[in-house]
Amino acid sequence: MVNVHLDKITKKFGDVLAVDNVTLDIADGELFTLLGPSGCGKTTILRIIAGLEYPDSGRIFFENEDVTFKKSYERNVAMVFQNYALWPHMTVFDNIAFGLKIKKIPKNEIKERVKKVLDLVQLSGLENRYPTQLSGGQQQRVALARALVVEPKLLLLDEPLSNLDAKLRIEMREEIKRIQKSLKITTVYVTHDQEESMSISDRIAILDKGKVLQIGTPKEIYERPRNVFIASFIGRSSILKGIVKDITNNYVTVSLGTYTIKGVITSDINVKPGASVAVIFRPEDFELEPKSGHYNIIEGDVDMNMFLGSYQYVRLNLENNSKILIKLSPDTDIKLGTKLKVFIRADQVNILPWES
Amino acid sequence: MLKISEISQKISRKIIFETDPIILIFIFISIIYITVFLLIPVIMMVESAFLFGDSFTLQWFSNILSSFYINIKSQGSFYTYIPRINTLYVIGVDHGVILNSLIVATMTTIIASIFGVIVAFILARYEFLGKKILRVITLIPLLVTPFVNAYVIKKIFDPTTGLINWLFYDVLHVIPWRIWLDGLVAVIVTQSITYYPIVLLNVYASLMNIDPSLEEQGENLGAKGFTLFRKITLPLAFPGLAAGATLVFIFSLEDLSAPIVFQGHPYVQKLMSFQIYSNFIRPTGQRLPEIAALAVIMLAIALAGFLLIRKYVSMKSYAMISRGGRWKPRIRKLGIKGLIIVYFFITPLIIFTDLPQIGTIVLAFSSRWSGVFPEGFTLNNLMQIFINPSVSGYVMRSIIYALSAVVIIIIIGIATAYVANRVRLGGVTIFDTLATSPIAIPGIVMAVGYFYFYTQFFQGTFLDPRNPLYFDPALILIIAYSVRRMPFTARSIYAGLQQVHYTLEEASMNLGARRFKTIRSIVMPLIALNIISGAMISFIYSISEVSVSVTLGSINIDKSPLTVYMANVWVSSVGSAQIAAALGLLLMLIQLSVIIIVTLGFKQRYAFIGV
Repeated sequence: MVNVHLDKITKKFGDVLAVDNVTLDIADGELFTLLGPSGCGKTTILRIIAGLEYPDSGRIFFENEDVTFKKSYERNVAMVFQNYALWPHMTVFDNIAFGLKIKKIPKNEIKERVKKVLDLVQLSGLENRYPTQLSGGQQQRVALARALVVEPKLLLLDEPLSNLDAKLRIEMREEIKRIQKSLKITTVYVTHDQEESMSISDRIAILDKGKVLQIGTPKEIYERPRNVFIASFIGRSSILKGIVKDITNNYVTVSLGTYTIKGVITSDINVKPGASVAVIFRPEDFELEPKSGHYNIIEGDVDMNMFLGSYQYVRLNLENNSKILIKLSPDTDIKLGTKLKVFIRADQVNILPWES
Repeated sequence: MLKISEISQKISRKIIFETDPIILIFIFISIIYITVFLLIPVIMMVESAFLFGDSFTLQWFSNILSSFYINIKSQGSFYTYIPRINTLYVIGVDHGVILNSLIVATMTTIIASIFGVIVAFILARYEFLGKKILRVITLIPLLVTPFVNAYVIKKIFDPTTGLINWLFYDVLHVIPWRIWLDGLVAVIVTQSITYYPIVLLNVYASLMNIDPSLEEQGENLGAKGFTLFRKITLPLAFPGLAAGATLVFIFSLEDLSAPIVFQGHPYVQKLMSFQIYSNFIRPTGQRLPEIAALAVIMLAIALAGFLLIRKYVSMKSYAMISRGGRWKPRIRKLGIKGLIIVYFFITPLIIFTDLPQIGTIVLAFSSRWSGVFPEGFTLNNLMQIFINPSVSGYVMRSIIYALSAVVIIIIIGIATAYVANRVRLGGVTIFDTLATSPIAIPGIVMAVGYFYFYTQFFQGTFLDPRNPLYFDPALILIIAYSVRRMPFTARSIYAGLQQVHYTLEEASMNLGARRFKTIRSIVMPLIALNIISGAMISFIYSISEVSVSVTLGSINIDKSPLTVYMANVWVSSVGSAQIAAALGLLLMLIQLSVIIIVTLGFKQRYAFIGV
């Protein structure tokens, strides 16, 4: 078990700057996720930690030991690849036992450890199958087992669930979280699926174009995104453009044309009156009745609704043709074309500098 | 602007991370082997062509510009009519050694290309009864039967007893005179037959890789039939045609098989390959630097051709093609006109091209060939190969030399293909070129280069070709085969590596296995079939190798391989054509078995020479 420190890691592929001066810390035993859209550099960072890519500049430390120039087979980290990389000419048993055989572990101990890890991933009895005889979910669990059985200092997962269907994805991510917690193994997880990252991570680093934009717990990132990109990437927020009218006691009053909204600033950048800002609304924060504290009133026409079983989404068309998404309970009866008034507390509305 | 220290830091980081001891060993042995056993001998040969004693001279090159070598005005007449036997004796004209070779190569290439394109087009675009059989018999000329194939051509065009004359003159009366092919024309005919499948296979592969919608669009806009072919199809198939034609040209230039059989006519002796061969070792043991100059010219032409097509014959493109076509090709049924052309013109021509192999098989089971057909069914020829020590010795030695060569080929082939495919350093594409260049280096050129190389560095030892009694060619032949026939195995391994996703190796190294263990446990099992099929193909073309075998390999007859025995039937009239045919049959049987095992058993792509 180990903590990881990345210090000013930079990596270029030809003309493309894949990782741009990234510094971050991963604590011992935490499940740390690198989250971002395709091409943001998250897989590259993971592979650099694994020793499969090398940084053009910068250093990597495992528990204060500089491992930057160590080859992958010297680092004692285990990676689960996106395509699983199971060896087709070996059985499940041999795939999993491979890392143990390299360490020259005695045969009976290998047998025991393989059995234990297969129980852990709930695949007992499949030792003699070949990878081509397994389903996607089973292959994924073999890949996980193969990484866990060598008791690595660090577990690295590269979009391990992206090849599975939706239901299986949800099952498996809970499995992974459960296993990670019980083994207390430091884990770095790469995904582009923000819901996945929110559900299992201890902390998340959001990346875009090779840079780290924000690091925090899922709650921190969700409730207080540091910029518009993050706000639009996480959840299903509605983002409207407005001009700052004034700032009092951390509350910002923003004019959105025909009406004003009160919200809070989350970034450390100062906004001055007259500046363009983004106003962020999260769908589930809207209510049909006013509650306590400072709140905003918004009114609009219902121009779409989506029934999703345990909840429904309603889209309101506002006076200046901007639209916002509202999440309501499924039994609320909403008719298309009717006017709807909703309420949202000021401290739930994030104001951020406008970025196009 | 990057500073020097920044750049050197970048490069050193790159090297530390992208390589490890095993990769460095692979790089090292690949480069060393090709350099020592291909580049250095060739360079030494080139050098000696410019030296007189120790000083630079162009004298040798000016010697070979004399009229013996280059004669714009031709000598002799193309054909002669012999009234006594009502025969047209067709031989070709003499333009001097160098021009003769160029003309023969050009004519062979033209004939092979025209016929190859036509047959490829028919097979790629049309459906008709018997197509599957036709496809198979078009490839028969690729079964190597050195020397005997030329002999069969010689026999069937004999004025009095030749099969062709018997059939078309005596029986069918469709030609007004007998035709006797000899001299340069006979060489052209033999070579065209032997090499046209190279054009055929390359053009066929090109045609099958054309997106059908491109032709459909052309047709849609009004281009039909020959116009469509000329404007759309042929230009798109051009890479295959260019590659096939260039290879045919190079192979024709360096061919020794047909010239040796037809050497009875003086014009045939005035071919570059024959000149180099026959002057290879003078009784005094001195080299003629003129021969080196001639070899330099042949090398220059071959290299120019190779540079033209090197991307096409590279391991990379072979891997792509062997993955199979992505398109469902446009195939149409042949109409009456087309059927007539195919059944009554094309098919007979294809059967004609199969006659050398058919003749070899029949002759192998015959006691003599004095009439139109070989006569006297006997199994004696075949038995002689296995029982008679003066013959079986040749066979054993060929097998041992070829097997030893294959061992070297597998090791160097794995090293080269792995570096070319897996290592991410600048310049690794040179390994692709290194591994495939031997295809285009004429064997006779390599033989000359080897002569200089071994006489210089191994003077006085058993590797010195100037000591005929003491000389043992075994090692030299093994090395020569391993260099000349490396490309087949290297290409096959490269294609296999292409199919093994690199993450399979990364997963292994990630779990603690170093490079060697990873290659041994993960990569090798997954490319085993590729290694074996490539090695089998290299084996076939090693036991049937001619150029180095009949030059360096014939110095000490007790150590010669079987192609020397075959050559000697026509060079020194030792041995019999029937036994040579039996040897040819043996080669064909081995090759057929390998083809079946590789294509049906291993489901790999069988690579013929040049394809």
